Amino acid sequence: MHKCLVLLVITAAACGQGDRAQPQQQPSPAGLAHASQADLAREIAEADRLGTWPELQRRWQGQTVRWTVTRQRLLCRSAGDCNVAAFPIQRPARQGWMPELQFAPGQYDVLAGVCGDREACDVTIEGTLRQLEVSAELPTSVQLANVKIVTARS
Amino acid sequence: MTKLIQSLAIAGLTLGAGALTASASSHREAPAIAEDQYVDNTDVYAFISPNNPGNLVIVADYVPLLLPASGPNFYKFSDNARYEIHIDNDGDAVPDIAYRWTFRSQRKNGATFLYNTGPVDSLTSPNLNVTQTYRLEKVNERTRQTTTIMDNVPVAPWNVGSRSFASYEPVALQAVTTARGVTSFAGPRDEPFFVDLHVFDLLGVGGAHTTDGVNVMSLVLEVPITDVASRGTRPVAGASGKTSVVGIYASASRPRVRFLRSGRGHDNFGDFVQVSRLGWPLVNEVIIPLQDKDKYNRTSPRDDVANFGAYILDPEVPKLLNLVLHANCAPTPAMGRLDIVGLLGPNGTKAADLLRININQGQTNNDSHFPNGRALTDDVTDTLLTVACNNGGKVGDGVDANDKPFTASFPYLASPHSGNPPRP
Repeated sequence: MHKCLVLLVITAAACGQGDRAQPQQQPSPAGLAHASQADLAREIAEADRLGTWPELQRRWQGQTVRWTVTRQRLLCRSAGDCNVAAFPIQRPARQGWMPELQFAPGQYDVLAGVCGDREACDVTIEGTLRQLEVSAELPTSVQLANVKIVTARS
Repeated sequence: MTKLIQSLAIAGLTLGAGALTASASSHREAPAIAEDQYVDNTDVYAFISPNNPGNLVIVADYVPLLLPASGPNFYKFSDNARYEIHIDNDGDAVPDIAYRWTFRSQRKNGATFLYNTGPVDSLTSPNLNVTQTYRLEKVNERTRQTTTIMDNVPVAPWNVGSRSFASYEPVALQAVTTARGVTSFAGPRDEPFFVDLHVFDLLGVGGAHTTDGVNVMSLVLEVPITDVASRGTRPVAGASGKTSVVGIYASASRPRVRFLRSGRGHDNFGDFVQVSRLGWPLVNEVIIPLQDKDKYNRTSPRDDVANFGAYILDPEVPKLLNLVLHANCAPTPAMGRLDIVGLLGPNGTKAADLLRININQGQTNNDSHFPNGRALTDDVTDTLLTVACNNGGKVGDGVDANDKPFTASFPYLASPHSGNPPRP
């Protein structure tokens, strides 16, 4: 009996981990097409207060978003290693996350072309929020997939 | 906290700009780890050996701010934890190698409350009642292959006092062990980090040596550089690629499940979960805000930019320095603090909270100063405050050196303070 109980607890703990890692397959709710990263940040802060992490993840994960972000060359040096600043610098950094971009074919080259050698440049991108890690236990991380460059300016 | 600081500023509180904010490098820096003292990383140091430029020395300190007179259960390492030093040798911020210490406690006589039952003059003394030993393993973190380097190695005892140890340090140094070209020490040492901890009294620093007189639990490792270099080859002098530096962080992990049984002690189950980590000094202390401090300790350096990058690009420290101490720090540039990002990712490596050190041929101990590694004597508080403030001037906490001199030979750290020093 005792061994069974131990096994149950360990299994439950392992399953809990798996649940967090699995993307939730939910129908896409309407209303996020024009939602900004500031909206997401606001909902994250709210979830931190209310514990509504699962609802937040279900609402946002899988959505296509169009955001203006800042690409710092040092932090986005290749198609396989690219994070961008979601918020303007000098805004109080209330959250630490920087979205990871996974580009649609050829789109990193487009980004590199329009930003050139500039240390930082602002770009408007469109992509799918493929993975959104939000919980009380782990830091927020955001992964945008199939990213396309919409506009860019220095 | 911010409101308090604002209130102070409004009240007209001004402090000298030469004595600015600081905190212990990573001592009790996050809420969860403050409840689990034995696995709390405090500092990591890395430098080319002063005695053999072919060797790298790494120090990982744990268990912060220890009073020397802390009996009868003197401090030690946890028997239910893994203590690890991780090394990334190809610049991707993913560890390639780990050195792992695991500990086991013993006692000779359970019918006494005494740590030692008489004077102790060697590690094999029958009077040394409570002892601890360890196994040191090298782990290939890519393949998970594990090799035991040494086993049943003694931990240096606590410096109980002059009645127990007529001459403590020779006994402690018997714990220095070499096997397979690797030299290891585990045990108490004088706390090497120097700082004015009065920062937590509303930034009231002014040169007080608040970490003098306390001890810490140290793991010290000296290894051939070829043991940790990518492909086992030390880069040539002047090499500037990603493999010319190694990135180091230390961590502690606990078993995933702990069973407490009424009247029957406890058992541990499951794989190990990281509960603490540290690379650079002061990152989790003053870069990461309260809401993410525990989360930082649970994550890996490779995800630092994705998880915490915005805090690095626009750190809070210079704003507080300006607000409270009128330090005239430079505003964050519009593109963010790319200078700090560059320091966290030298030679094209991925930016991460790793203590990186150049391992090229020709590098010597004199080259090992923060942020290229970290020497025991480095005043990292002043260095980081100066970098953070970024106004061309030097800022610091007014504490510039350790209370005890460091030693020229392994394990390089100073002998721990005695729990009962000889009285005049």
